[in-house]
Amino acid sequence: MSFPQYDASALKALDAQAKATLAVFAKNKYQRVEPSILQPANVFLDRSGEEIRRRTFVLNDSSGTELCLRPDLTVPVCRLFMENGAKLPARFSYHGPAFRMQPNDPARPVQFLQTGVECLGEIREAQADMEVLALGAEGVRAAGLSKFSVQLGDVGIVFALIDTLDISLLWRARLKRHFWRPDYFKELLRRLSGQGPKASRSYLARLAASESSDARAAAEGLLDHLGVTADKAIPGGRTREEIIERVLEQAREARAPHLDKRQATLLEDVLNVAGNARRSVKTLEKIFTGAGIDVKDALAATAERIEKLEQLGLESKQIYFAARFGRTMEYYTGFVFELWARDRQRQIQIAGGGRYDSLLRSLGAPKEIPAVGCAIWAERVFAARKALGAVK
Amino acid sequence: MSALILGLPSKGRLQEQVTRFLGDAGLKLKKVSARGYRATIDNLPGVEVKLLSAADIASALEDGKIHLGVTGEDLLRDSVAKFDTKIALLQPLGFGRADVVVAVPQAWIDVSTMADLDDVCTAFHMRHHKRLRVATKYKSLTRVFFATHGLADYRIVESLGATEGAPASGTAEAIVDITSTGATLTANELKILDDGIILKSQAQLAAALKAQWSPDALKAAENLSAKIATSGKVRAAQVLRKALKR
Repeated sequence: MSFPQYDASALKALDAQAKATLAVFAKNKYQRVEPSILQPANVFLDRSGEEIRRRTFVLNDSSGTELCLRPDLTVPVCRLFMENGAKLPARFSYHGPAFRMQPNDPARPVQFLQTGVECLGEIREAQADMEVLALGAEGVRAAGLSKFSVQLGDVGIVFALIDTLDISLLWRARLKRHFWRPDYFKELLRRLSGQGPKASRSYLARLAASESSDARAAAEGLLDHLGVTADKAIPGGRTREEIIERVLEQAREARAPHLDKRQATLLEDVLNVAGNARRSVKTLEKIFTGAGIDVKDALAATAERIEKLEQLGLESKQIYFAARFGRTMEYYTGFVFELWARDRQRQIQIAGGGRYDSLLRSLGAPKEIPAVGCAIWAERVFAARKALGAVK
Repeated sequence: MSALILGLPSKGRLQEQVTRFLGDAGLKLKKVSARGYRATIDNLPGVEVKLLSAADIASALEDGKIHLGVTGEDLLRDSVAKFDTKIALLQPLGFGRADVVVAVPQAWIDVSTMADLDDVCTAFHMRHHKRLRVATKYKSLTRVFFATHGLADYRIVESLGATEGAPASGTAEAIVDITSTGATLTANELKILDDGIILKSQAQLAAALKAQWSPDALKAAENLSAKIATSGKVRAAQVLRKALKR
């Protein structure tokens, strides 16, 4: 395990970076908050996938309650907002340590500093996206690093395409869930095109697939046969009705037409678009026009973001886009971006952010609240500055 | 000091099986310390035996504190990070056979594959506003296997005993556990997914790649390998030499 080590000059430099970045945030009316480092574990463990979970430090208090060291500051800031009930829209900034185990890279410190913003409840979403993207870039610049590149992504583009496909809702959900994993997605497309193995080979699935049968009666009959009557508790948390509903869904899916080859190819062509951002948008326009599909809004948003970055003085060749780039942390729901620079050895990510519209609701808000945020990894910015000779 | 340290299980069924296996090969364990945690093997000079729990054998192999050890492949693969750089499996021993499997309630008639489970995880999350829980003591095996099947929307709850009871007691929806005949799973109204076999495990003679392999230690390993060799199979010592060269 590796711990952060700051000598006197590094401490001074990191303090100065934080001060400069926070000043940019403050000037844009972001209110500084300081959520607790210790957080109730369940909030995180329920919300993040197993990948982040296994990297979260969990501890118990004397009563056995599970706590954790915050693995990021987005969830803690949102919890703070939920508890204090500020008026919407609300804009918050933060600076402080976060903690993650590094099982894949033991040389990486388990404690690191994050400086960032969260913009909650701003209904002018496109504007909020650009505001946060700009703050990320300006925040890094204020910290003393001007040489970096930006990687843009937007799941909205791929989702809009998937929604135009003539496939079942179940399959749409599956494709959306896995579009960012190239190998598994290919496998899914094969299955959806009627190649590859059938999703389910059970007797019931075949029965459900046949036109003549009544799938509900078949499912109920099988459950009764297994002794799972309506009044009996089923092991695990799923109900009898929940199971029957899904059997019906499987039956509908089995009867639905396969994805035709042209559509499968289109989907793959779109997902393979990556590289220079301006060129990528042009390529996507061409693919979509050729296929007669209208996803202008989703593309226009990306074009505007590129323009905004250029207005801020970034060179076009420093701005990248990838259609597949969408979900490094699992609560992101739309626009995502990362800032990259070089330290002495390699390319490193120095900031990241995006839109997470469903997080606040999952924390107890009565309805979905649009939200977008960004975090800058302070020590990595410092490492990149050192590599450029900007600091000793 | 002995050239080679061999870790053997100190208790339970695995210990009986190892003792019988060595006996069949003409090797007799002789305990040397009063408390019985150290032993030697008659007619196998240069080998010191440490009697340890199966889990301790896995971690001693990982750290290179022993040269060779006998323990279940399931334990080794689950507890040792970056397995291939630290451990070489020299010879499967033909006992302690069991499968690490993914099992769900029999009542889940809509689920027979990992792909089904993936769909159910998402549906469960949306419907119940929490993640589907998988009880297991095999945390890393589960993570890797689920990830290769594209599952992310679930949560592991650690279980240190009677995992098969977790769905019935309401602490999890599904489990990953070890089974040899499947009888315990059936008794708990659970079924194994068609493609849910994570690992076919058995007891293995394993080598620690990080241990100090002196010429004498290698020689002792070679002697042991010759005694336990199965006809027609590649000998343990050959596998070891190859692994150490990497």
